[in-house]
Amino acid sequence: MNLSTKPQHAREAAAEPVIEVQHLWKKYRRPHIKITSLKEAFVAFIRGQTGYTEFWALEDVSFAVQPGEAVGVVGPNGSGKSTLFAVIARVLRPTRGTVSVRGKVCPLLELGTGFHPELSGRDNVYLNASLLGLSHEETRQRYRDIVAFAELEDVMEAPVKTYSTGMLVRLGFSVAVHMDPEVLLIDEVLSVGDEHFQHKSFDRLKQFKDEGKTVFVVSHDLFAVRQLCERCLWVQHGKLLMDGPAVEVIKAYREAVAQQDQAVEG
Amino acid sequence: MKELLEIWRFREVLFNLVRRNLKVRYKNSVLGFLWSLLNPLMQIGVWWLVFKVIMGMPQKDYTAQLITGFLPWLFFSQCVLDSTACVTQEMALVKKAYFPRAILPLSSLLSNLVHLALAFVVAVVLFVIWRVNVNIHYWLVIPSTLLVATFAYGLSAMLAAWSVLYADVKFIVNNLLGLWFFLTPVIYPIQLVLGKQAMASDGWLKRLINILLPYIKTIYLLDPVTISILGYRSGLLKGGENPITVSPEIVPGMTPQQVAAAHAQAAARQELLRAQYPIGHYIIGAVIITLVTAVVGHLVFRRLSWTFAEKG
Repeated sequence: MNLSTKPQHAREAAAEPVIEVQHLWKKYRRPHIKITSLKEAFVAFIRGQTGYTEFWALEDVSFAVQPGEAVGVVGPNGSGKSTLFAVIARVLRPTRGTVSVRGKVCPLLELGTGFHPELSGRDNVYLNASLLGLSHEETRQRYRDIVAFAELEDVMEAPVKTYSTGMLVRLGFSVAVHMDPEVLLIDEVLSVGDEHFQHKSFDRLKQFKDEGKTVFVVSHDLFAVRQLCERCLWVQHGKLLMDGPAVEVIKAYREAVAQQDQAVEG
Repeated sequence: MKELLEIWRFREVLFNLVRRNLKVRYKNSVLGFLWSLLNPLMQIGVWWLVFKVIMGMPQKDYTAQLITGFLPWLFFSQCVLDSTACVTQEMALVKKAYFPRAILPLSSLLSNLVHLALAFVVAVVLFVIWRVNVNIHYWLVIPSTLLVATFAYGLSAMLAAWSVLYADVKFIVNNLLGLWFFLTPVIYPIQLVLGKQAMASDGWLKRLINILLPYIKTIYLLDPVTISILGYRSGLLKGGENPITVSPEIVPGMTPQQVAAAHAQAAARQELLRAQYPIGHYIIGAVIITLVTAVVGHLVFRRLSWTFAEKG
């Protein structure tokens, strides 16, 4: 099985890339035993346990995303997709290599991240928007649109602990897409809400793309990735296996998964 | 410098978190925000009952002294306590969103500062009603607050980072704060410590204490929390006077001569203590300790803050 191709650097040249990842390595320490207290640390020290093994979550990953591109990342669980996402979103720091992101970046937070259950929907919108880099005034201007898009006009003054999961998800998504970012980072949040809202959110993402904005998606939803993205990265065991047109990469990825399944069954 | 700019850029997050902390703290309680006044009042009430009523502290303005000492102490201890949870509670944010992590300890500091300010407004109203020696040296409250807040930030940042690594930090801090409370002149006048004489030296322990006594006193007076409390007292109660005071011990039934003698004795001891402990030097010392703590605490926090998102 020889699917690995060199990351494509051919396409750059035109404009400066929006996201540029160069030789990115990320090391994690996985503790043998979970040490969360001084006593455990002491016991582990006495027994001569080093406490953790190191492993590379990402190994020498390089790619560049041009303005207006929509790029999807696919791969099995534990492949390093989310680590890659977190490094680009500046939550994690690379162990080696560089990651540079230009322009206003908006990570679409995992749904309802930063929502406080006791606060009202309104307060949570302001809090969440400020986390995504919006000022109070800017949020105030967009507030009505955000609420209207989420279709939650009636409940904004109630604490969000009274919301259903679907309502939370809609509100979180709505805040993120009203940020007016130049780069939108999406981690596993393509299928939000009911059928109706899914269509709506998907249309919104497409609209983003049409406006020439950059979209970077990490997802298991291959169908959605293929619809939204023209380019795809396949990450497995921390390595970038393939980088190319979405249709081809997804096809190759599917075949690999199918082969593996057969091997298991056989 | 770059970091300060970054925090400024994310100031909306800071304000929103502070607003949230204030809103959430007394959610679902009937009296709501009033608790931030009732809580300290009740605790002060307990100490007042024990020391003024039961043990009969002789000082005239003991209650006012208690309030001016307890409020800054409560601010400091609450900041330090909150700090041990301020990162772990916000793990969901830390793992998903980028923002300068220093915003977390800062937000719990600012929320506690709001509580402190509210409580002091009430305290000053009380002082006016009681006709405690109110004066124009209120400005001393500002440097005192800055001192204790900066010191609290340094400790909070350090403890916040460590408590992500080890849950023990919270418990250790809890116990140490219990001790620290008695190492600040909140419930007793400062001359009790500064004027302490060497004990009759029988037994090695007492001898050891006698040897250490001058050093203990020096460290005691260098504590930024103590200096800050003295600043509040000096600003609100004593008209900007040197906060090291000795009040005369007057027992009912003394003859006028005895009262005069007690006053003279107290004045002499006060003179002696003030000469022995030049307050200006100690203030400079406390400021230096505060700045060092703030810088070291912040650096420790910054060094560790990149690992927060990797913790389980």
